[in-house]
Amino acid sequence: MTTTTAAAASDSSRWSAVFHATLVPVLLVLAWQAWSMTLPANSPAPSPSRVVAAFVDLVATGGLVQATLLSLGRVLVGFLFAMVVGVGLGALMGSNVRIKDNLDPIIESFRPIAPMALLPMAILWFGTGTAPSLFIVAYAAFFPLLLNTIHAVSRVDRKLVLAGMTMGIPRPRILTKIILPAALPGVLLGARLAMGVAWTAIIAAELAVGAKSGAGGTSGGIGQMMFVFYAYSIDLNGIVVCMIVVGVVALLIDRIFRFAEHRLMPWRHR
Amino acid sequence: MNKVTSKSKLKLQNVSKQFVAPRTGHKTLAVTGVNLEIQAGEFVCVVGPSGCGKSTILNMIAGLDTPTSGSIEMDGVPIRGPGAERGVMFQDYALMPWQNVHDNVGFGLLHGTPGKGFNPEQREQRIRQHVEMVGLTGSEKKYPHQLSGGMRQRVALARLLANGPDVLLMDEPLGALDAQTRLILQVELLRIWGETLPREERKTVIFITHEISEAVFLADRVVVMSNNPGSVKAVVPIDLPRPRAEAVRAHPVAEQIWGMIKDEAYRAIA
Repeated sequence: MTTTTAAAASDSSRWSAVFHATLVPVLLVLAWQAWSMTLPANSPAPSPSRVVAAFVDLVATGGLVQATLLSLGRVLVGFLFAMVVGVGLGALMGSNVRIKDNLDPIIESFRPIAPMALLPMAILWFGTGTAPSLFIVAYAAFFPLLLNTIHAVSRVDRKLVLAGMTMGIPRPRILTKIILPAALPGVLLGARLAMGVAWTAIIAAELAVGAKSGAGGTSGGIGQMMFVFYAYSIDLNGIVVCMIVVGVVALLIDRIFRFAEHRLMPWRHR
Repeated sequence: MNKVTSKSKLKLQNVSKQFVAPRTGHKTLAVTGVNLEIQAGEFVCVVGPSGCGKSTILNMIAGLDTPTSGSIEMDGVPIRGPGAERGVMFQDYALMPWQNVHDNVGFGLLHGTPGKGFNPEQREQRIRQHVEMVGLTGSEKKYPHQLSGGMRQRVALARLLANGPDVLLMDEPLGALDAQTRLILQVELLRIWGETLPREERKTVIFITHEISEAVFLADRVVVMSNNPGSVKAVVPIDLPRPRAEAVRAHPVAEQIWGMIKDEAYRAIA
């Protein structure tokens, strides 16, 4: 009896939480729709109903899915580059002070240069295909991976390494069986942050590359799609669709990483 | 009592250790002029005020530190570095947080020299046997953070013994436990060590503790150290019959040892 009332109470409080969390967004969308209905029928201003229509249209032609997958593919490849170099270098720098002292000045002088600041150079060097976007993504993802790996490796409990030595574990195995697993939480945190900035960077890079390659350009990706809507077809509804897709993908990426952290590190969660 | 079987296991000759602070170059003499001979199968406890270099001596025997002068030999061979024949149990256990009980107990067997000469089934068998020895059967899949302090301590003990070391080096292994658990684990430690076995079948143990009554209860001999710089003040034989009875805890020899270090202990905290 008491359990059912308690369950009912928590159920109703959950619904009330959902209600309060969605109330303001729903009201805003309704107000937006109401406002747009006062405009002339041929107005280019975006409205919720037109955004939905544009979305259905873009999905039906396959253009949106293709552009999103292309951007995601670039992010993944660029991220993997950054992962290999960033984690490898980070492990070296975190475990060896001499190496860190040698490389720190270079890294610290590049770090403040925003990925977007490298775009002009990247486009001139690599042209308007996939290469400049990959370069920008890898560059953007590199720093969070590197810095978090250095921090995680240098903070590994020294006692664990000493314990390994007293168990007759050879040095290479101490690295792979003790230092890297102990540093894994920090490395994964770096990977999650890196993936976030990589996704931000790809949109900007594709926008800029799209601007260079023009309307008929084959650079592709969701960023280029946005650029075409912005500069050629002037389709505000399409731009809003792209913005929403970018946001949803970013959210999904973050959730996937959090889920992976859960699965890979069961010892960190009760 | 067992004079017949006496055989020197460890020999420390005129051992001194000086630490130099890397930044300031400030020198500290941690221990000086330590001479100690430990017999095979002997249980030796080391007591003394804080900062008397107890852990420094243990680390040098483990091969994790090298003496500034003097020599340390095991079975007549100078110690050159860490090795699985000298197992260490650290004060805070140094369990691998990402490994469950089973993998922690088997860590040395799976990754280090102690696993040599065993096939996978024999390794499993040995892990199972040691998990059972410390009474943790059924908890194999638990991670260290899911265990109580006493259980973690048992995991560390099982790991230590599963590696099959010749000499057990224990740095205040019971220090972090509450008083009752501590008393229980002292008895258990003696049982597992093989108190009822003939001396030649027992392991050689060096056990560091703050607690004099613990030292008297466990040891064949108690090494009393003094500080500034750390040196051996006296070696007190505990000629009490084994298995030890609870009454041993109140033996007058504890009072006598306390008398030796009381002044320095007070000065150390003043």
